[in-house]
Amino acid sequence: MAEFTNEELRAKILEYLNKVDKAKNKDIATAIGAVKRDVDKVINELAKEDILEFLYLGTSYVRIKGKE
Amino acid sequence: MCSVPVKKPKTDIGPPYYYDMLPEIIKENYGKWKYHEKIKPGVLKHVSENGAELYTVRAGSPRLLSIVTIREYADLADKYSGGHLRFTSRHNVEFLLSDPANIEPLIAELEAKGYPVGGTGDCLNNIIHTQGWIHCHSAATDASGPVKAVMDDLFEYFKKDDLPAKLKISMACCLNMCGAVHCSDIAFVGIHRTVPTIDDAGVAKGCEIPNVIASCPTGAIRPNPKAKSVMVNEEKCMYCGNCYTVCPSMKIMDPVNDGVAIFVGGKVANARSGPAFSRLAIPWVPNTPPRWDELVVAIRNLVEIWVKDARKGERYGEWIERIGWEKFFEMANLPFTDKHIDDFIFSVPTFRTTTNFKY
Amino acid sequence: MSEKKRPLLEELKKGPWPSFVKEMEKSAHNSKTAELLDLLERSYEDKTGHWKHGGIVGVTGYGGGVIGRYTDLPEEFPEVREFHTMRVNQPSGWYYTSDALRTLCDIWEKHGSGLTNMHGATGDAILLGTTTEHLQPCFNDLSEAGFDLGGSGSNMRTPSCCAGPARCQNACIDTLDLCHNLTNTFQDYLHRPSFPYKFKIKISGCANDCVASIARADLSIIGTWRDAIRIDQEAVKEYAAQGYDIQGLVVDKCPSQACTYNAEIQEFTVDNPNCVRCMHCINKMPKALRIGKETGATILIGGKATIVQSAFLSWVIVPFMKLEKEDDYAELKDLIERIWEWWDENGKVRERVGELIYRKGMREFLKAVGLPPVPQMVKHPRANPYFFWWPDEIISSASGDAEAEAAAGAEVEK
Repeated sequence: MAEFTNEELRAKILEYLNKVDKAKNKDIATAIGAVKRDVDKVINELAKEDILEFLYLGTSYVRIKGKE
Repeated sequence: MCSVPVKKPKTDIGPPYYYDMLPEIIKENYGKWKYHEKIKPGVLKHVSENGAELYTVRAGSPRLLSIVTIREYADLADKYSGGHLRFTSRHNVEFLLSDPANIEPLIAELEAKGYPVGGTGDCLNNIIHTQGWIHCHSAATDASGPVKAVMDDLFEYFKKDDLPAKLKISMACCLNMCGAVHCSDIAFVGIHRTVPTIDDAGVAKGCEIPNVIASCPTGAIRPNPKAKSVMVNEEKCMYCGNCYTVCPSMKIMDPVNDGVAIFVGGKVANARSGPAFSRLAIPWVPNTPPRWDELVVAIRNLVEIWVKDARKGERYGEWIERIGWEKFFEMANLPFTDKHIDDFIFSVPTFRTTTNFKY
Repeated sequence: MSEKKRPLLEELKKGPWPSFVKEMEKSAHNSKTAELLDLLERSYEDKTGHWKHGGIVGVTGYGGGVIGRYTDLPEEFPEVREFHTMRVNQPSGWYYTSDALRTLCDIWEKHGSGLTNMHGATGDAILLGTTTEHLQPCFNDLSEAGFDLGGSGSNMRTPSCCAGPARCQNACIDTLDLCHNLTNTFQDYLHRPSFPYKFKIKISGCANDCVASIARADLSIIGTWRDAIRIDQEAVKEYAAQGYDIQGLVVDKCPSQACTYNAEIQEFTVDNPNCVRCMHCINKMPKALRIGKETGATILIGGKATIVQSAFLSWVIVPFMKLEKEDDYAELKDLIERIWEWWDENGKVRERVGELIYRKGMREFLKAVGLPPVPQMVKHPRANPYFFWWPDEIISSASGDAEAEAAAGAEVEK
């Protein structure tokens, strides 16, 4: 598993979420090859900045805010 | 919606600090309580190591509360308990009094407003329950309605603490069992009896098919690639509704066949025997709003046989353990059916493996 | 509002128990609540609910605490087209001042239906029914007044606890402080769902378990002690003098036959090493018997209701843990983090931690979180001869090294 800086993680997470409708944190971590805990942290930051939002469909997902 | 710029709210501040909510007498005696006495149904007295006395007056509520009522509670608290009160895990409100002279006036006012005082010690406590038709998408029956009907009928027991032991009744409006009713003296649960109707287009459009398939505890759901949907094996489906929770296009409501199942003998406390699950007594009573007459009669019968036959100190399940389930069904005058014999995942340890039983 | 309009609900205004219909009518000057009554009357006619699953609603930066709700009859009942729930994190032990309650009521009068649940099953104060438009302003007002949202979705749910040392002599731990502390420490896990599914924490001060943690919490924290029950023999004599049946109601019901009562000298004794600390005798004679002094908690895992694979009662994983305020509950928090890490890594979507332990095996779990197996974890050992060995417990035939064999043998005996 690669070590990424915070900036790299932000970019990779957003790049991945731009390609899909929605994803679970774990799937994002797997897809970009990063440690889930680190991915969680960055996703939480992005959510607080109103860039990402959470949705619930039997389980919780994350997506780019407003992306259908 | 507001013309004034809204300042960014603080997030992650956590709940209000409980300590700020406590009356002086509690702050002074925090962690120093020595014992408590049950003064009468609905009234407790806690005594601390240094002799301080705290009185609790408990009143039942329907859980669904208007802010009008909550403000009345607040006013009563100001008048009688220095503005201090709490709620219990079973939806009761409790006023925390330091002056015993306020107990009777508070009770009189509560009762006059229709808030009954009781539910402590060996009483029937308030019924834990879920949202039902007021607010839930997966309810197989209403919750507040049947609870109201049952509590009206058993009202006397909320105000009497001479039952054999505590009586805790719980209600969940579907098998999700939000109230975790599965460890109650008596539990009643909204159930389905028919397989879900599949809206293929809806499944294709709005549901994650792997999640729908994985949601089924009996493996009854398989893919239907042609329709980009799923199929249900009717012989395997046990109507739990979990697929419906995951996918709204697996409609499981059936107003004619949905109903209520009644379980008995569970408990949570470790006192004497350990915590235990409630077990099936009645597989189905019909869903009959507005007063659920069949349910009310069935539960009264279950309560009365226990009150009549249990020894002092025996919770419902402890009583059944002593007399045996075969005697319970006889005494309750209930048919024992194939529904009562478990055929879900962990069924085997529930089968009798001894020749010790009664006729 | 004409009462005749809702003949079925009218039936539920009768009888001595407080009526939820009357509660709804108290707030029926609110057009949403009035229409909610009409919709409920329709459900009583149809014998089915009229709500749809949640959509995407929330407040900025949060993924939990708001439950989206929409009626499936929006044309007929436009006022409840959107009728979302907000979960407000309760103060530990549900203690309030009248002013705190009034503040909540005022905010909810401004932004919602005026209906609540005090409280929901998880423990939150439930604000029942508002529109998408009002969610953020309502949250802003709540936050300004010192309230925050609770959990929903695949996250840590709002922890809850019993009345605790504020009003109970049986509180072996400070449930209120611990609940407040854990809630604040794990704010990210509460508000921003990143788990396979929900994770509930409930804290009871003693084995009476007033918040039913063993039945419905993924992590159950239950207060206990490991020294001796404190006995006040003078108070025992008072019970005897009042004619209380100490032998029949207390001693004979002790599950481990650890109590004895000498009626001649009116003396009550407990065989403490054989006491299982069930609370029965203490419950029955609270004036005479008290919990021990060396207190802590038993930690259990996996409790849940039936959905999906069956209901579980939580299983003991730590028989006794000292819970120290002084070190900020470091040992417990460390354990919780390790549990989450393993569950997060291995859990499938919508798999509770108890179900994962059942699927992977308790030994995998214990090894992963670093807990030693102890007999307190089981009712009895397994009866079958099918069990796994770790690779380092097996004698390697290739090595032929007698020392290695001896070492491996010693390892097994451990």
